[in-house]
Amino acid sequence: MKTICPRCESPGVTQMHAGMENGQILWRVWHCKDCAYTWRDSEPAESIDPKVRPAWAQMKGVDIDSLRQVIPPARKPT
Amino acid sequence: MATEKTVSLSAEARAVAARVGSLRDFLDYLGEHDQCVTWPDAILPEPDIRNISVAAGNNVSTGPAVIFDKIRGYPGKRVAVNVHGSFGNLALLLGMPKTTPVRELFFEIIRRWGSDKPLLERVAPEKAPVNENRVDKNINLYDLLPLYRINANDGGFYIGKACVVSRDPLEPDNFGKQNVGIYRIQVMGPDTFTLLSIPAHDMGRQMLMAEQHGKPLKVSVMIGNHPAMPMFAATPVGYDESEFAYASQMMGAPLRLTTAVNGTDILADTEMVIEGELQLNQREVEGPFGEFPGSYSGVRKVPLFRVTSVSHRNNPIFENIYIGKGWTEHDTLIGLNTSAPIYAQLKKDFPEVAAVNALYQHGLTGIISVKNRFSGFAKSVAMRALGTPHGTMYLKNLILVDENVDPFDLNQVMWALSTRTRANDIIVIPNMPMVPIDPAAEVPGKGHRLIIDATSFMAPDNLGADPHLVDRPMGPEIDALMQRLNELQKGGA
Repeated sequence: MKTICPRCESPGVTQMHAGMENGQILWRVWHCKDCAYTWRDSEPAESIDPKVRPAWAQMKGVDIDSLRQVIPPARKPT
Repeated sequence: MATEKTVSLSAEARAVAARVGSLRDFLDYLGEHDQCVTWPDAILPEPDIRNISVAAGNNVSTGPAVIFDKIRGYPGKRVAVNVHGSFGNLALLLGMPKTTPVRELFFEIIRRWGSDKPLLERVAPEKAPVNENRVDKNINLYDLLPLYRINANDGGFYIGKACVVSRDPLEPDNFGKQNVGIYRIQVMGPDTFTLLSIPAHDMGRQMLMAEQHGKPLKVSVMIGNHPAMPMFAATPVGYDESEFAYASQMMGAPLRLTTAVNGTDILADTEMVIEGELQLNQREVEGPFGEFPGSYSGVRKVPLFRVTSVSHRNNPIFENIYIGKGWTEHDTLIGLNTSAPIYAQLKKDFPEVAAVNALYQHGLTGIISVKNRFSGFAKSVAMRALGTPHGTMYLKNLILVDENVDPFDLNQVMWALSTRTRANDIIVIPNMPMVPIDPAAEVPGKGHRLIIDATSFMAPDNLGADPHLVDRPMGPEIDALMQRLNELQKGGA
């Protein structure tokens, strides 16, 4: 099954690291390129299952460009 | 500007200062006093580190530091939490018994406060333990650090207790304007991270300056530090005052500094230093993060940094913090250093101020004990407190008690509230500045302040003039009797 982001449900996710135990992969860390969520696939469901995560914490359909800036950029990035 | 003011310390405090030069030294010292434990079992990063950190922090008096060295999937990696998580640990750092009352710790911090004559030793970079290992290619923070999620709904894995050093982008040679602060850091890609600051903080000022003038902003993220460093990095000192100088004076012993590749000064004995550079005008999605008011901050766009190199000691310790709904290590780490400057600033104008307890959620609630010079005087003191640098943003609920009420003893404070407060004599000041992450704000950054005057009534106020207060026995004689009873309880004679 293809891994999707538990927060925004984007398929655009990248593996960052794999934890090893006795030569076997124990868990993987993933990062979402769209909403920047990071998670480990061994975490409890409350953090990594979109069906269990609280609704307020989900970002499916949220316009990333409209998020508030804490320190507004001085100019457009080059 | 640095002063010539120095601190005189007790023999015990000098011994601790001479002994403790790094996080490792402090963990050993705590262990000798039963204040540091190594978790014996294999654990998963989540939720185990979170849960054990909370359990350690629940004992505010003598909860231990905890080292994890059996983290599944991170063989050989180590995490330390709750190093500043109890007043017992802070007391040991100050060279005092671990059962020292909080009020005495407060006055010891006050005694050491305001001394910033730098006590610094320079160490050549090639001789600094932090440079035992250097990674400048194929950097992967997820591999180098045993990262984990602090609270279940955080947006990612946070480095929550690092001390970040940065030079003023326009005056990179000015030592005093070099800033050391604790900012929340969310690891993003293998070699990128966000760092959250606000324009009011020194780091926020430097970010704005760098982007406005197109100048580079280079930072060194120090992880696992001398225990005095996070206490002072989290304390608002003046923009041109050095946190290194304050931290060294607080300990009364030199801090060993070396120079990072990017030119910033770093602690030579720190466990790990991540060097990074602000990616001008680039932002990344950051948060939520379970913050000190006990609620999650929102998801926002935050400045992005790229890692240029990582230096670390052999077998480094990733020191991190549990932060969230209080009480947490965050409260113990910064509470006394939040209270001290408010006290010092009030005391200048109002010598009647006896003590300030702003331990709660970075001072969202503060208790000031003060001797009324005349009727209503305590209210004037409260107004002055709201005008102190920290009070301007943070002091939301202020309780004023008499000078003979210990603000660190909440039973005494409740006595004052129960018997001194008149419900029609509280003050609400609407639409004041407020910390943006305070969930009780009307809108983020703006809300109401509350002043409760629970001091005694005096002429010309006739209310409550009739009761004659009981003169409760207190002082050294009672303290000695309590000690005697304590010994009798333990089976002594």
